[in-house]
Amino acid sequence: MGIKNRLKTGIQKNLNLRYIKRLLGIIALKPVLYAYGKTFPSASDKYLNIFTIESLKKAYSDNNRPIGYGSLFIPYELFYALGITPFLPEVMAGFTAGLGLAPQTLKEASSHWYSQDLCTFHRSASGAAELDLFPRPDYIITSNLACDAAQKSFYIHSVKHNIEKNYYLIDVPYRYSEGSIRYLTAQIKNICTDICSKTGKKLDISMFEEAFGLSNELRKWAIEVGSLRKNLVDYPPSFNGLNFILPFHGLAGTREAVILYKEIYRDLKKYSDKQHKESLGKKKPAKRILWLHLKPYYRNEIFDILYRENCRVVFEEINHVYWPELDYKKPFESLARKMLSNFLGGSIDKRIDVTLKAAHDYKADGAILFSHWGCRQSNGGARIIKDNLKKINVPTLVLDGDCVDQNNSSQGQVKTRLQGFIEILNS
Amino acid sequence: MTQDIRDTENFDKTREKINDIKFFFGNTLTSENKKAAIGWFCTYTPEELIIAGGFISVRVFGRKKIIKSESYFPINFCPYIKSGWESLLADADNFKAMIFTNSCDGMRRFFDIASKYLDRVPSYLLDVPHLKNKDSRDFFTGNIDDMKKFIEKLKGEKIDEEEIENAVKLINKKRKLLKEYSNIFYKSPNLIEIPTYYKVMKLSMISDPKIFLDDLEKYLGFIGSTDKTNTKNGISLQPDRRNSPAIMIIGNFIAEDKLWEMLSKMNLKLASEDLCTSNRYFGKQVVTDDNKDLLESIAERYLNKPQCMRMADLGSKLAEIENNIVKNNIKGVIFITLKFCDNMLYSFPLLKQRLNNMGIPVLYLDIEYNNFSEGQIKTRVQAFLEML
Repeated sequence: MGIKNRLKTGIQKNLNLRYIKRLLGIIALKPVLYAYGKTFPSASDKYLNIFTIESLKKAYSDNNRPIGYGSLFIPYELFYALGITPFLPEVMAGFTAGLGLAPQTLKEASSHWYSQDLCTFHRSASGAAELDLFPRPDYIITSNLACDAAQKSFYIHSVKHNIEKNYYLIDVPYRYSEGSIRYLTAQIKNICTDICSKTGKKLDISMFEEAFGLSNELRKWAIEVGSLRKNLVDYPPSFNGLNFILPFHGLAGTREAVILYKEIYRDLKKYSDKQHKESLGKKKPAKRILWLHLKPYYRNEIFDILYRENCRVVFEEINHVYWPELDYKKPFESLARKMLSNFLGGSIDKRIDVTLKAAHDYKADGAILFSHWGCRQSNGGARIIKDNLKKINVPTLVLDGDCVDQNNSSQGQVKTRLQGFIEILNS
Repeated sequence: MTQDIRDTENFDKTREKINDIKFFFGNTLTSENKKAAIGWFCTYTPEELIIAGGFISVRVFGRKKIIKSESYFPINFCPYIKSGWESLLADADNFKAMIFTNSCDGMRRFFDIASKYLDRVPSYLLDVPHLKNKDSRDFFTGNIDDMKKFIEKLKGEKIDEEEIENAVKLINKKRKLLKEYSNIFYKSPNLIEIPTYYKVMKLSMISDPKIFLDDLEKYLGFIGSTDKTNTKNGISLQPDRRNSPAIMIIGNFIAEDKLWEMLSKMNLKLASEDLCTSNRYFGKQVVTDDNKDLLESIAERYLNKPQCMRMADLGSKLAEIENNIVKNNIKGVIFITLKFCDNMLYSFPLLKQRLNNMGIPVLYLDIEYNNFSEGQIKTRVQAFLEML
């Protein structure tokens, strides 16, 4: 049994906070961690796993207080500037799926009256929180950006830990306007002021300089990676653009995220150069797929089928760099602009623009919108997205499934629909 | 004994009359709208501006039978939104425009669908903040001003201060009378039947306010007069609900006639409620102040009205519910949600915990909007009431 399977089995059998801390204590030791890193086929995967484990180790260590829970689309530069160690429950829910823990966490959530109609990212995270698998937070910062779920489920976490006064909702307006920027800027400033008064830090714009500088560098490399992918067909084995959610958001503002994105660039550049040298004319050109929304984080066949059928996911909307460069001299306004630029907030027009541009830039032959159970914001717009892509002759498959709960997704049906779609692309 | 029978007969007649909506609201029901209507969906829509613009404000209750709407939304999506869209696909021409709010993910997507596929009727989305503080009030005031401009475009001219003032007075009066009516309903459960109460609530949201208010005033006048004569003796002779456990209903857009009829037949004593179809609509007046901008006063009211679970401060919402429970001596809570309403569903774990701490049992029901399964719900409510 390999190291990964041993880790998985170990945690499944010992699902408690003590074991998680012990496990992280061992695996995050530099020699062990780098030995573990070497088991991955590419440098980008290696660093992704190393940095993920290191960030978890920090969040689970009592030496790195204060700990802050954050929802996915919060600008994490804020956390690093304020000296808060971030912890992302929604990303952790993805791990519960990958580690085969979701049946237990979802069951726990149900016993605490979380309806089965709710998004499993939040249900699984809530179940894990109820099982006390997460570190105790000192602060919780969430927003209504993209969906309603985080602000609600995170509030429940704040009650559980009796820190309602340290729960902050960033209320992101619907429209991008000067009034919206003012409203949002004031909120972010108030949160920073309040947290600084609690941590005893003096609020000073210089505290944003380093995090913003690193975030801008991440942004630059993420754009470079995106540009490189416009013509790329062959990827390193096991590369999946949907695996980089944590660094893209939760590590924005850290050196690790910059290193990782540079590594991704280098990995892909090798393949790009190789692709140039080889005559593509000999091969039947692959079908280029634009991926919309997320993917199942448990073991599944979707990407194997696509690969076997000579289809390549050439871009994922979630990797679109939607925000302008940050200016540490205007830290609150910069972060407000970043949040307001998110294409999943506000009107569906923002998402349509990103999708159509990506379909054009990445020369997509087709799009797959993974329709995660309970995600009203994404699935509610599926018809519009599909119709708009149709106008530019890009067929879309709305693939029903569940990113976290394997039992809520019929593998057979997914396979059949996927194959049917591939036939359409090849016809 | 003879006296008792006569009292009973009198009471029966009075009660029958009070529950005769067609009789009291004849003008409301038969009046043909001379003004154009603007449709809305959520109680965070400031009706005052619609009225000030010279339009009738009509809440869309939706079509119960879903045919075309299913193909626009996923299967697990708010059934009210699907019904509302079905209604727009069929009857949008009855409206001059539609006003949406960003109350939840579902509504945001509903607005997108309407904007893309309903080109003959303009749609507007009002951005409603989730926070309740000075900054959010100022922000919301600006948004209401933007909505006013949208209505002015439809009107073809500016809406002046006086028009807004008059609309505020009119809607405030409606709120005041609906509050009075609801107090009578809670205090005299034998007099006003549950379906009647919600029919009046529905009329208040879909009718010309002036005509509705005339009818409502007369109706309340009649109820007031009977209260002094027949009701006092009558109540004691009716199936007595005063000793039944007082129930509070918490829900969202619950507008299911069959449900109300079912609860009425079960002699349920409804003593308090927290619904989009009642107190979240009429609770709290717009308080005007010479030193304050009218739109700011309107913003203040809407942000501080009995809140939907969508607002950030779920803690204050739960406290609001707890106060209601204590004040009205509630013995049990029925939590009814339309399926797939995330804001409602996420409120339940904490609500359940709070109610457990108070020793208040709660029944959880989730229902469709267009396919009410009476048998199953009835069995569950009956068992709950028996347990109480």
